[in-house]
Amino acid sequence: MAENKKVLVIGGGFSGLTAAVETAEAGSEVIIVEKTPFFGGRVTQLNKYFPKLCPPNCGLEINFKRIKNSGDVAYHTLAEVEKITGQEGAFEVTVKIKPRYVNDKCVGCNACAEACPVEMPNEFNFGLDTTKAAYITHNQAFPFIYAIDDRYCKGKACGKCAEACKYNAIDLDMKPETITLKVSSIILAAGWDLYDVSKLDNLGGGKIKNVITNMQMERLASPNGPTAGKVLRPSDGKEVKNIAFVQCAGSRDENHLPYCSFICCMASLKQATYVREQYPDAKAEIFYIDIRTPGRYEQFYWKVKDDPNVTLTKGKVAGITEDPATGDVILEAEDIFGGKKIRRSFDMVVLAAGMVPSTKNSKIPVEVSLTPDGFVLPATLQKGIYAVGTLKSPVDVAKSVQDATGVAIKSIQSARR
Amino acid sequence: MSEQIKPDLKFINSVINAGGESLKKCFQCATCSVVCKVTPDDKPFPRKEMVQAQWGLKDKLLSNPDIWLCHQCSDCTAYCPRGAKPGEVLGAIRKLSIEHYAFPSFVGKAVADPKFLLLTFAVPVLIFGAVLMALGNLKIPDGEIVYAEKFMPVPVIDAVFIMSAIFAMIGFGVGITRYWKDLTSGTKVKGLPMAAIMATVTEFLAHKKFKTCEETVDRSRSHLFTFYGFVGLAITTTWAIVYLYGMQWLSPYPLRDPMKIFGNLSAASLLIGITLVIINRLKHAEKAGSGSYFDWLFIGVIFTIVTTGLLSEILRLLHVPVLAYPVYFIHLVVVFFLFAYAPFSKMAHMVYRTTALVYAKHTGRDKA
Amino acid sequence: MEKKFGVYICKGCGIGETVDIEKLKKNTAGGARVPAEQIKEHGILCSPEGLELIRNDVKEGTNTIIVGACSPRVKFEEFDFPGTLTERVNLREFVSWTQEPMTEATQTLAEDYLKMGVIKTQKGNLPEPNILPDLSNAIMVIGGGISGLTAALEAANAGYQVTLVEKEAELGGWSAKLYKEAPRQYPYEKLDEPMIFDKIKEVEAHQNIKVYKSTTIEKTDGQPGLFDVTLAANGASETIKVGAFIMAAGWKPYDATKLVHLGYGNPNVITSVQMEEMAKKGKIIRPSDGKEAKKVAFIQCAGSRDANHLPYCSSFCCATSLKQAQYVREKNSDAVAMIFYKDIRTPGQSELFYKNMQNNPGVLLTKAEVSAITDAGNGNLYVEADHTFLGEKIQVEADLVVLAIGVVPATRAPQEYLDGLTEAGKKGDDAKKAYVDETAKPDFILNLNYKQGPELPTLEGAYGFADSNFICFQYETRRTGIYSAGCVRQPMNMAEAAQDAAGAALKAIQCVEHVATGTAVHPRAWDQTFPDPMMIKCTSCKRCTDECPFGAIDEDAKGTPFFRVNRCRRCATCLGACPERIVSFKDFSVDIVGSMLKAIDINEDDFRILVLACENDAYPALDSAAIKRMKISPSVRIIPVRCLGATNLVWVTDAFSTGIDGVLLLGCKYGENYQCHFVKGSELANYRFSKVQETLNKLQLEAERCQLIQVSISEYDKLPQIINDFVARVEEIGPNPFKDL
Repeated sequence: MAENKKVLVIGGGFSGLTAAVETAEAGSEVIIVEKTPFFGGRVTQLNKYFPKLCPPNCGLEINFKRIKNSGDVAYHTLAEVEKITGQEGAFEVTVKIKPRYVNDKCVGCNACAEACPVEMPNEFNFGLDTTKAAYITHNQAFPFIYAIDDRYCKGKACGKCAEACKYNAIDLDMKPETITLKVSSIILAAGWDLYDVSKLDNLGGGKIKNVITNMQMERLASPNGPTAGKVLRPSDGKEVKNIAFVQCAGSRDENHLPYCSFICCMASLKQATYVREQYPDAKAEIFYIDIRTPGRYEQFYWKVKDDPNVTLTKGKVAGITEDPATGDVILEAEDIFGGKKIRRSFDMVVLAAGMVPSTKNSKIPVEVSLTPDGFVLPATLQKGIYAVGTLKSPVDVAKSVQDATGVAIKSIQSARR
Repeated sequence: MSEQIKPDLKFINSVINAGGESLKKCFQCATCSVVCKVTPDDKPFPRKEMVQAQWGLKDKLLSNPDIWLCHQCSDCTAYCPRGAKPGEVLGAIRKLSIEHYAFPSFVGKAVADPKFLLLTFAVPVLIFGAVLMALGNLKIPDGEIVYAEKFMPVPVIDAVFIMSAIFAMIGFGVGITRYWKDLTSGTKVKGLPMAAIMATVTEFLAHKKFKTCEETVDRSRSHLFTFYGFVGLAITTTWAIVYLYGMQWLSPYPLRDPMKIFGNLSAASLLIGITLVIINRLKHAEKAGSGSYFDWLFIGVIFTIVTTGLLSEILRLLHVPVLAYPVYFIHLVVVFFLFAYAPFSKMAHMVYRTTALVYAKHTGRDKA
Repeated sequence: MEKKFGVYICKGCGIGETVDIEKLKKNTAGGARVPAEQIKEHGILCSPEGLELIRNDVKEGTNTIIVGACSPRVKFEEFDFPGTLTERVNLREFVSWTQEPMTEATQTLAEDYLKMGVIKTQKGNLPEPNILPDLSNAIMVIGGGISGLTAALEAANAGYQVTLVEKEAELGGWSAKLYKEAPRQYPYEKLDEPMIFDKIKEVEAHQNIKVYKSTTIEKTDGQPGLFDVTLAANGASETIKVGAFIMAAGWKPYDATKLVHLGYGNPNVITSVQMEEMAKKGKIIRPSDGKEAKKVAFIQCAGSRDANHLPYCSSFCCATSLKQAQYVREKNSDAVAMIFYKDIRTPGQSELFYKNMQNNPGVLLTKAEVSAITDAGNGNLYVEADHTFLGEKIQVEADLVVLAIGVVPATRAPQEYLDGLTEAGKKGDDAKKAYVDETAKPDFILNLNYKQGPELPTLEGAYGFADSNFICFQYETRRTGIYSAGCVRQPMNMAEAAQDAAGAALKAIQCVEHVATGTAVHPRAWDQTFPDPMMIKCTSCKRCTDECPFGAIDEDAKGTPFFRVNRCRRCATCLGACPERIVSFKDFSVDIVGSMLKAIDINEDDFRILVLACENDAYPALDSAAIKRMKISPSVRIIPVRCLGATNLVWVTDAFSTGIDGVLLLGCKYGENYQCHFVKGSELANYRFSKVQETLNKLQLEAERCQLIQVSISEYDKLPQIINDFVARVEEIGPNPFKDL
């Protein structure tokens, strides 16, 4: 197939992967560039999907298999697009590939990580624990090749990993390289970041130990997370028997994110089941403005609501303080239908933090208009360039998959024009 | 039994026009009730007032004591996720409440409406203008500046102000009686709750409630200066009456006279207070809202009173008759405005808020 | 093809330190009858030197390669030798990383695995795709609403011939009946003009699209690439050939006559659909007397989110009512629109639309449980509501009440009819006949001539929506080549439906492209193998026709199963179902697996447990446990299967009769929220498994020797324990008495 008939997918999260494999299976060659060392994006950090409560790695595994079996999907990790020139049918894309310091000879034996003396904050676990500077995020990661984080690694001065590796896979001299790709169309799938909860000054975000984000909660509940799946609170490792979820932590709030982040209601309902499943006597309370469970998600809402140990309280939490003696967290809200202002104490509190398009934290390398909130306005994209998923609006995995599949046909059309 | 709800679009629009233009943005999340430091825990405000106003439930709002428990700290406005500015909306409702209980009601409407701004000022201008014309004092007098002797005789001023004070008292009397009736209708409250009145007054003197504001904590200070400035000026006025009628001692009084010192200090307090009010308002405009016509009219009047009052004195001492007399004239006009229209302007908050607080204290509604 | 074998053993990743490689080689040469010189070892087989070793042999004619190294999930690019039959034997994860080094049990385990790998290649063959002749790559779109039109345009713009079938006389569906649309993009301030009319023009002018109006599908015969569709219009019929379908048959409003408690029946109570018509005509009026409506109440969730009616949320009604509130206000500035909602659901950026509409002075909202709509006596109505922001129990007068009516997919009525038919059928032929006579037959959509029924099987418990059960794979259906889009799949708004339709169009073109190369579509995309039954041995028991999750097997006139290979997804459920064991794939058959398990070394002193593991989830989970260096009993022999549904019971009986002490089946979750990638595979395995118990009884073996466990990929942390517990239980029961025989 001619070089310029290829499709470039920027972003290797679930949207990007889907767009890539769907495009490839419809007959175009695809190149994916992912800026981190591993594929799967946010989805890999989730314990379970709503509403099926099934593990995201299941679908990821299939998609990785699709990449392996296709032969039409090439990929680059640690790769960032620097420049795009040209037009539909003849884009020239400059991609900078950062060094991984580990080459393809890596067998994934973990010897480098064992030898590495540097502990660094584990970003995959949102800082809930630490990891080595030579690391792999989890045991189903793809590609299954370790990476070395040069922000923390001491380089050749240390070199312990290179000594430990029997497979000649460590190359601490690795340099960044720049490659040029010729493609016919481009799919932007750069995804989202979690809203910085430290901006929520009245909710103790980032300040109170036992106030965590919904994404941290996913890590806590994941078998490959910092607590091997046990929901334990950060301050003292106590089992969480009494948990609260604060909905719209940042979302639907002009002072923070004026839009609704779509996923947080379902995510909190889901996370309530994590705790309820682990601790049969545990109680969960969800404070909300509106419960948004569109379509058949409603059934999941009913199921969780029917649990007598789960309480849904209409009223936004507007104050969170810590009980310094116990580490417990005290929430303040108006129980609107109870007609009272309430203060309740919990073992741990989860902030259902919102979604921020990744354009807010890193510029996308194309000319496009964004909404003030950073979402791509698709109509302003150059012909042959398409945006997908959470770059355009906050959506869940299911909607991202629909969108990514739909965008795949656009890229096919571009390739065939 | 269900309660009949009668939405009133006119009332909704009047709240919007009275400075509550953000009213409709509220989506009932209750952040406001939670961040409010002065609301009671039971049936807290201002969330419920917001929805009542959104639906135009006039009857529920105008006689609602909770709108006066609000001190417009604007914590709610700062944290409101929707930009609905509950502080401003409650301010607007208070304005409408004042207008609603105003007697005579056409004066209430006139004071509340910027359309009638000129007309409301025209009244004192015409009264004082007529007096000056009658006395033949329309020209700037020569020689040493003596306002009472050469320009506006004190008995005339007294007569005008006593009349306007009586007008205001009647206005307040009728308004408050109606308000109290609405407040207590359907409740067991009878007679005057003296204990609650005392408690309200003591609390008020220390501005206890005001100090709980977080977002605009500096407001309690400015209000305190303004309030005690007024108190001081009231005492000064009484003092002057004693000098004038008791001791037959005509103004102007020497600067070292204790009454003069006290009066000037009070004026200074008022000036500091009202200037801080303005500064705070501007400083907090983004978070707390920029305020309505009703607010700014009141602030403007006080600011003009204190500045023209002080200027009258300074210009007199500096002997600039060309400016001194007109400034003094303006001073009289705005003082008249403040007195005569007290039951219809924001000044009325003094009385309505006190009444509401008394009621709240008496019924246990007030937060301890 | 004459097979020339090459066995390559890697000593890296601890394999060399865990297993005696020389012994392993010797055993393989003997046990699997491979010439000793064709068994080679290397320190690091995946290194350039190691790979060179293999490539040189390939050049020399080696065409059947057994790589005894790591899991096939890794190093797939390295161990890719085109044109060869390559088998990866997982010595690293299943031996080196999960076993005690250098014990006899570990050694036997490695020897068994390598032997099994060799046998698999001895029995298997290189696949060749089965490309059927005269394939069509044309796409048929059912439905001319927003979804159908979009799907047609997308497929046509990608270069495919499209036939669009609409049962109504005009294109446009519900979209064409709208007065305005809720804004589609930022800043979500102004209502948009409906976009449908431009789409209709574009479709009608497109050279790749042929439109059939007032047309329905009488019959659909065949399989992907070869569908013969008989269209019926005005009494005439025409048959055309297409490759794949997009089914966008849309939705109907919920039957409002069932909403008597919400006042429907009173002329001044209308549905949101009627409201659009009214707004399109002009004024918003009180239908009873034509007076302009000034107090309009919108009742949200009319039918939706209601256990007695539609137990789901219809998704777009909140935005619709906000939009219609705007109609009320726009047409009469004195009018108020009152919205009574359970929750306002304007997810994502449509929150901004809510905010903008809400800011209108005459749009009033409250959360409420509307208990009744009653007559106010003057032609007006009272909305009676509980739990509102305005009071516990309130009553509000309205001159017009609009019910935000819920969505019912077009697939629901046929589904209900067919479910009823199945139920009746269970009671006997008479009951079935009575059902057919007495029940009004709804409009069918596809009229498939499939043994398993005429319509797309909708998801169980999905209230008739033809949705996918897979979060990751939104367009999965149980009829290959037929993809649903729009409100037939889920309740969704116009913009979402358009987006959804594009996705379905992509899946349809993927399908025609894949059948053109004789390869499978998702989830075994690119698989060239296919079921190749030895029909002369078929007894026409029809188990395969019943069990195939994708309806790929029909029957001919005599009742003999007939494989429609382009419908097949290669899960091999038919292989598992067939009691005559006649279904084979080139690399997977009853014989292959049977031979593999018979190669297991049976030792009188030791236990042997066979684990049949689903390769989609259980196998990666086992790998993941190995990466964590979790220990698994050395008695266990793992054989991956395409899907647990591919498990033929003969393997179980074979295993026990050769002396294996226990059989553990590891498959995906089935039932509600099933995770099986082939929908029914693991469930069918479980169904068959219940029959195993009978077999075991016949053999006078304990039922506990065989167990089926559902595992997900993320349960790798529990899996070793699950397996080891099973081993312990079997050990408690004691050795298989057949061992001695």
